[in-house]
Formats: sequence, C-alpha cells, structure tokens
Amino acid sequence: MTVLLEQPAYKMGERYGQHPDDGQYPGKLIIVEGIDGSGKSTQIDLLGKWLTSQNLVTAFTEWNSSPIVRRTTKKGKVEELLTPMSFSLIHAADFANRVHAQIIPALRAGAVVLADRYVFTAFARDAARGVNREWLRRVYSFAVQPSLAVYFKVPLDVSIHRINVGREGLGYYESGQDMGFSNDREESFRIFQGKLLEEYDALTEEFGLMTIDATQPIAVQQQQVRRYVEPLVSGVMRIQGQSVPEALGKAGLTGRYVTPPSRRRLTEQEALAAASSG
Amino acid sequence: MMSAIRFYGHTPPGAGDEPILGRLIVVEGTDGVGRSTQIAMLQEWLEAEGYAVLVTGFRRSELAASGIERAMRGNTLDALTLNLFYATDFWDRLEKSIIPAMRSGMVALVDRYIYSIIARARVRGVPARWLNDVFEFAAVPDRVLYLDVDVAHLLPRVLAVRQLDHWESGDDFLGGTDLYENFIRYQSALIDEFRELAKQHNFVTVDARGSVSDVFQALQTEVREALKGMGE
Repeated sequence: MTVLLEQPAYKMGERYGQHPDDGQYPGKLIIVEGIDGSGKSTQIDLLGKWLTSQNLVTAFTEWNSSPIVRRTTKKGKVEELLTPMSFSLIHAADFANRVHAQIIPALRAGAVVLADRYVFTAFARDAARGVNREWLRRVYSFAVQPSLAVYFKVPLDVSIHRINVGREGLGYYESGQDMGFSNDREESFRIFQGKLLEEYDALTEEFGLMTIDATQPIAVQQQQVRRYVEPLVSGVMRIQGQSVPEALGKAGLTGRYVTPPSRRRLTEQEALAAASSG
Repeated sequence: MMSAIRFYGHTPPGAGDEPILGRLIVVEGTDGVGRSTQIAMLQEWLEAEGYAVLVTGFRRSELAASGIERAMRGNTLDALTLNLFYATDFWDRLEKSIIPAMRSGMVALVDRYIYSIIARARVRGVPARWLNDVFEFAAVPDRVLYLDVDVAHLLPRVLAVRQLDHWESGDDFLGGTDLYENFIRYQSALIDEFRELAKQHNFVTVDARGSVSDVFQALQTEVREALKGMGE
C-alpha cells in the first residue's frame, strides 16, 4: 500500500460516546437541547453573556450554520427536496464541518464552546423520521462528548403557545409535513413535536442529559444552568478583556466608525431598505 | 426474475421493499481511465438492444450538486464534510433516479458509485470503518465493472487531454509544490484503495490499458451476463 499519511487524519470511536479525545481538551463544551419554543436559545445566550463577563473565552455555534453546507440545506428545505435520509445526511455534513473547523479547534485552544443543539437534535429528529438509530450513532462517531448537555423540557402546549405562530409561520420540515402525518400544518406540527419529546426522553436516559424544567421563570432556569456550569469552568483560561465601548470611553471617543462586535451583518434586503430610505 | 433491492446494511427509509425489475450496473475506476467513453458506448449498445437506460454519475443530484461544487472552491472543506456532502448527493440520486429507474425495469448505468467516494476519503485519512458505516444505505449493484490501470499508463492519458487537476492530484492535502509528484503519489494510493475494494466487494476487474474496443468487448460480456433474465 502507498502510505500518504503517517496516521489517520480524523479521530473517532466506533460510535458516538467513544471518541478517543473525549474529555482530553483544555476547553469545555456546553450544549443545550430542546424542542422549538423550549427557550434553550435564550438560556444559552444568557449563559454566554455571563461567561464573557468573567473574562472566559467563549465560542458559539448553532445548528445548521456551516458556511459551506447551509445553502444546500436551505435549498433542500425551500424546494422541499429533502427526504428523511437526505435530511439526515446534509445535517451531518453541516455538523461535521462545524466540529472540524470550529468546535474542536476552539476546545483545543481552551475556550468554552457553547452549542445551540448538538448530536441529540439529529438523533431525535432523524429517528422521528424513521432513520435507523444505531446508524445515526455510528455516523456521528466523529463528535466529541460535551462536558455538559442540558435538555430544556417543556410540554407541547407551552412550546406551541410560546412560538405563537399560525399555520403560515410553521415550516414544512419543522412541522414534519414531509412525513405526511397530517395535511393540516398545525396538527402535523403537534404530532411531530410530540414524537420529538418522546425521542428526547429516551435520549435523556441513554446519554444522561441534565434536564431543566423549562416551564419555570427564565431567571430560575438560568440560575440552575449556572450552577451546573460554574464548577466546569473554574480552571479554564481567562483573558483580560476590555469592551470596545470601555476602550472608547477611556480614549474620550464617540465611536462613530466602530461597529459593535455583537451587531450582526445586515441582510441584503435590510441593506437595500436602509440604502433607499437614507 | 424479480427480487427486492439488497442494501449493504439496514434498509434505509424511502427505499421501499417491492421487488424490482431493472438492473444496477456500476462502472468504477480512477480519473481519466476512460469511464465516460465506455459508458456512452454501453448506453448506445443497450438502447440499440432495446433496453431503457438511465445514466447517472457524481454530483448530478438536484439537491447537492451545486453546493458541492461551491464547497470545493473554498478551502476549509475537510474530508469528513466532503464525504457527507457526497453521501447526500449519492442518496438523492439513489432515491430519486436510480431506484425508480430499476423499479420501472430500466438498466441504471452508474458512472462511479460509493467506492470512488470511499477510496478518495480513505487516502485522506478517514477511517475505513466509518466510511463503511455511512454508506451502508447503498444498494448492492448487480455488477461493479472496475477499469483498472497503473499510474504509469494513467498519466499520459490524462495529460493528452488536459492539465493536472487540484483534487485529482491530492493537492488539497499533500502540500508542497510538485504537482507531478503529488499526482503520482495520490493516484497510486487511490488505485491501491480501489484494488482493495475490488477484493472486498467482488468487482469485475477489466484491464483498462487495452484498446477502447478490447475494453468495451470485455464490458459487454459482463453486462450481458448481468442482464440475463430481464426479459422474462
């Protein structure tokens, strides 16, 4: 055999949960899971702000956001081209890209990585679409286990009330309409999300996710999250940070030319609207 | 003769389990070995014989083809992501073109199958076990016709028609500036992987160093064999 590489370039175990690098990195991986409307994104956002205020280096990643893959996923959703297996595979591609280009480098560098949804989202959604569970665990064997996985558990009625969207606002795939559960989008959404709750219950058991009652007040939930996180991050690298407004203030400047780092880029439509109104 | 499609692992959702009438014939081999010429000739011959033929190949899915092409122009594309991207493209064609064609009694003639994807990922350091796991949703072909060539015979063929390609020279991961050296090393490793896969999956190996007619005749013999019983 012609040998091109001294060792395998990509490490993984036989199935998810057996990665040789589990627990080996200086950084910490904290992930949140839950159905739409569980409030998990709010919670991880609050957690990130708290960690940053303590001078911890954080990196944030969310489901479906790989710059290389997400356009294909979007095309598949908009044009309704995705089937259970292609839905599963394209999300695995997106996730693999983020693991390789973002999550693992940040963990090796010693950051606290915050992930809004992780492998469990794929395990729950794909299984609810009839994809083989054992196969999913083997496909995702390239993912390292998080230091902390929190599941925000919420009853269906509460999440639907929170999303507060009519039939028009619900997506075709978010409602599981591709599965033909019901022609009525809202009814289909209910059935599909109900299946996801069952999957999450089973995953909580299988992988020991920390469950938080997501019907509680936001602040109460956040206290619980921080109690879980605090001992994990006590030894993690901190840097002496200074915010841009602070630096500006110290220099006696107004900051007309500085874009706050948190501000996201305008979408094409917003930019056009701004240009035409200005 | 009708039978249900066999898969390498579990039967994936969306595959169906009704018996199928058609056949799945795959042509494999490294870049520049002459696959497309042979496939065009096979299609012409089979249609003249009265068979309905579907020809399909890499990166032709409606879903993922354009996305893969875009991604390959970037530079943070790791082998795992590319492999899963190819898997998406492959499944989309399997589910929406190949299986329906076979179900309706056509001959699906496929230019490169999972083996090319697996071979390319293996030389880039992706564990073989994981690749076999990922692609266990693939249908087992009725015949895999492997066009085998050594690198010494391959290089002049490629250079006769075009310049060396970035990906086909393994330039994405081998480094250095010697494209010729990279092409030799990369294609040698790739051919080794193909020969390994040929043993593992019982490919029919055809010596591609022969003339176009010699290779075509060898392929015709195999295809005729694979199509036996189709008219019954």
